[in-house]
Amino acid sequence: MSTQLDVSGVVEARKSREETLATTAGAGRQAWVPATLLAVLVALPAVQVFDGFNYVLHLGLYALMYIAMSSSWNILGGYTGYISLGHNVFFCIGGYFSGMILAYTGISTLITAPFAGLVASLVGFGIGFITLRMRGPTFIISSIALLMVARILFDNWNFVGGANGVTLPQLTIDVQWAKIPYYYAMLFIAAAAVYCSFRIKHSKFGLHLRAISQDEVKAESAGINTRFYKMLAFAISAFFVGMAGAVWGEYITYIRPSIFLIILIAANMVLMSILGGKGTVAGPIVGTVLLIAFNEFFVATLGSSEINIFATGLVMIVALLYFPNGIVGTLAQKKKLPRFLDWD
Amino acid sequence: MLEVRGLCKHFGGIRAVDECSFSVEKGSITALIGPNGAGKTTAFNCISKSMWPTAGEVWLEGTRIDTLPAHQVTRRGLSRTFQITRNLEDLSVLENLVVQSKISGFRALFGPAISSAERDKAMGILEFLGITRLAHEEARSLSYGQKKLMDFGALLMSDPKIILLDEPASGVNPRLLDEIIAHIRALNEKGLTVFIVEHNMNLVMALSHKVVVMAHGQVIAEGSPGEVQSDPEVLSAYLGVSKKAAVEAAAQTASGALDG
Repeated sequence: MSTQLDVSGVVEARKSREETLATTAGAGRQAWVPATLLAVLVALPAVQVFDGFNYVLHLGLYALMYIAMSSSWNILGGYTGYISLGHNVFFCIGGYFSGMILAYTGISTLITAPFAGLVASLVGFGIGFITLRMRGPTFIISSIALLMVARILFDNWNFVGGANGVTLPQLTIDVQWAKIPYYYAMLFIAAAAVYCSFRIKHSKFGLHLRAISQDEVKAESAGINTRFYKMLAFAISAFFVGMAGAVWGEYITYIRPSIFLIILIAANMVLMSILGGKGTVAGPIVGTVLLIAFNEFFVATLGSSEINIFATGLVMIVALLYFPNGIVGTLAQKKKLPRFLDWD
Repeated sequence: MLEVRGLCKHFGGIRAVDECSFSVEKGSITALIGPNGAGKTTAFNCISKSMWPTAGEVWLEGTRIDTLPAHQVTRRGLSRTFQITRNLEDLSVLENLVVQSKISGFRALFGPAISSAERDKAMGILEFLGITRLAHEEARSLSYGQKKLMDFGALLMSDPKIILLDEPASGVNPRLLDEIIAHIRALNEKGLTVFIVEHNMNLVMALSHKVVVMAHGQVIAEGSPGEVQSDPEVLSAYLGVSKKAAVEAAAQTASGALDG
């Protein structure tokens, strides 16, 4: 044995360990969980054959809508670190864009929803151009201001019915099946939003967004065009919210500012993402399901008064006390995340 | 290579950098020194565009860069570190490096976060710096010195032509300092131009080919380490001419040493 050190062996060993690390990181991903979930959700409307499950479908649709919106919000709020409390402005823009087309031409929102998403995106890009110069609390306040401006605008815009809004034509099919087209539309939007969120998380774009959320000066000096990336993230996160708004408008058969432009909707998106874990793919889904489940449970047991909201709030506080980074986020940090929730 | 002409940065009435002109030769190690508050870091920030200069021009290899946003300056081959390390705390060391690598267009943007070529390159850099075992640690769990090394490694990821190091020696133990000096030397020998702001005179005198001295926002001397050390203006800037000023400067140096 010579005393000379042979380094190439070390490099080789390191490389092979690198490869095992890379493969195990991928192996932890449970593709069958979202696939099964999707299959169950696709099959769910079959219960309507027996009729009387309209409320189940409504709840499913409602949850899917919020999954789409909170996953979408998560792209800006979670990955990029810009908390927007006015994201329902895009919900409103989507709803009104498709709703007005439906009212004037009779073209279903199910067809125009993608365009509504695009319009919301464009508006998001433009608004982001102005408001994304701010950061932290200032940005949050600017997003609330945006919501208020939009509310005043829509309340006084006579072309779109002002504060009274516009009634939309109903689908002329039997009430037993009436919810199903909208259910599938929301399922499609939610699946697309989650898939998009997943792809972004694992792309260079996502890495750069995460860099921006950590330290913008550093990200900029690392060669990232922070301004454009933030605007792009804003536009993408407005897209699915706009689409969801379009379908929701026709589903509830009227569009009115007081449906779309209340802070509760934006707060729901934020709370669901934070409860589940912002910045994770599965977080918004877990958060949405839990928050809606708690709400339904307390409505059923405590009645539909202020008490049920209080109880939901209490559960939120307790949950965030023990899971400060959200349920998925905190479990992942402690390396205790059950494998079926490991979508990242 | 890098040329600064009449650079000014004013904060209200304070002229932090005032008509500053100097150049950095290709393939050299140039140091920028000066007493505390001389405007070194501000000048640095204006060159790398972390701040917009009030007036003046900065040229990098024949292109004017003071009109470009910071990320484009980086893409043109000028990378910098920060005095107080700025890290992306939630990202792993590997990701911290890969974030700096160039992307080749819109499609790559939506490709995988870390391509295998980038992984190999980043691991090579970590190997060069001797911190490969930290690759998958989160940046927050690193020690200060390790963060400095990581920052240094991240610079190399963007294939820079010139690197700006803002006080690479501050808060670093002597052994690590030797390591950093060796790394800087090794890279310089491969043709990388290095521009350093530093308080540590040992490092400056041992490493640099050329020293630029700043005081009160202005360049007061420029030359080889030997020339600068004997320049009367430099001595007066550091030690003061009158007795009172000398006491003040000594106090400043002492507080600088404590801070550093």
